[in-house]
Amino acid sequence: MTNRDLLTSPLTTLAACAAAVVLMAGCSSMKTPATADVAVSRAAVDNAASAGAADLAPDEMRSAREKMALANQALKDRDYKRASELADQAQADAKLAQSKANSTKATTAADEINENIRVMREELNRANQQAAPQQ
Amino acid sequence: MQKSTYTTIPGLLAMAALVAACSSAPTTTSLLDQTRGDYMAAQSNPLVSTYAPREFREASAALEAANAAADRRDDSEKVDKLAYLAKQKIATAQEIAKQKAAEADIANAGKQRDQLRLDARTQEADQATARAQSAQADAEAAKAQAQNAEASLRDSQARAAALQLQLNDLAAKKTDRGMVITLGDVLFGTDQANLTGDGTNTARKLGDVLKNNPQRTVLIEGFTDSTGGSAHNLELSQRRAESVRNALLDQGIARDRIATRGYGAAYPAAGNDTASNRQLNRRVEIVLSEDNTAIPARR
Repeated sequence: MTNRDLLTSPLTTLAACAAAVVLMAGCSSMKTPATADVAVSRAAVDNAASAGAADLAPDEMRSAREKMALANQALKDRDYKRASELADQAQADAKLAQSKANSTKATTAADEINENIRVMREELNRANQQAAPQQ
Repeated sequence: MQKSTYTTIPGLLAMAALVAACSSAPTTTSLLDQTRGDYMAAQSNPLVSTYAPREFREASAALEAANAAADRRDDSEKVDKLAYLAKQKIATAQEIAKQKAAEADIANAGKQRDQLRLDARTQEADQATARAQSAQADAEAAKAQAQNAEASLRDSQARAAALQLQLNDLAAKKTDRGMVITLGDVLFGTDQANLTGDGTNTARKLGDVLKNNPQRTVLIEGFTDSTGGSAHNLELSQRRAESVRNALLDQGIARDRIATRGYGAAYPAAGNDTASNRQLNRRVEIVLSEDNTAIPARR
């Protein structure tokens, strides 16, 4: 088969037409992007949850989950514009929750190590002062 | 009415301008204002530009979208939706900056901790070295002290031996009051206090003993026989004791190391019945103290 044959083949033409129809249908209904937005936001919420955001950023986490629920409801109601908007907001909330959880953990760890250092330095100074009179 | 035309035209123009300004005023919401404030704070936080530049760019883009909607005079609900997204993204950039700064702090603190551990080990090693050196110095000091003690023992043994020789020469007798050297009557002029040549020699030997044994003191006691008045005897015995003292003072012996007593005819060494016994009673006894010890009184 040559290229010309491919283009003129009735089967190929039919497939191209079908694809165009599906794409057009997706665009007009906004169903596909809204579904994708909701899926991305769900992943963001899951990530935040596994970073411990439920404990460390409870307000943002609650907000993200509520908006996820509303976005899912909007999907069911085929209000795809609202579903996308809610999904975007849920994603922003989830990302903030995750970053809050991470910064809290890092700050706590930094405080701990700095406290360790302070204690070590004190011990070192004490040892120095005890050694001084001997020398 | 020309005047009123001139005043009316600028008035109309001003009103037109005001109306135009009103109609072109962008939509404002309190959430958007708040978000702009958050944005300014993030922009002036150096940690954000250092640690979260990508997140801050995303937040900037989100705010621009909200601002554009406001400029288009979109309804406040739409502006608020965009402002909310921008606000959350700005907060996210702040949190990520905080996290990265804390992580950098941890990395730096880890280095500091390693350095401190090293310092602690160095200090322990230094202290161990110092202790070892101190112990060695102590050992050397102890050794030196032992050598000194040994030398001082040898020295005192030598001095004791020399003293013994000198005392033997002076015919010293050991008594419970100390060594006693007796200077007989022949060492003084007859019924006089002055020392003869032999007496002076004896006093010089005694002076040598005192010079070599600076811790010792002497008590010089004078005695007579029972012949003659007791006042005379007391005075003679005292003068004889003092002339021995003067001989010692002449040799440079300190006055406070020499005490004298005159006893007259008291404490006779023999009976006063024969001439030779009386001669034994006419005497001066010199009591030599032990080192740093007072001489006990005569009983």
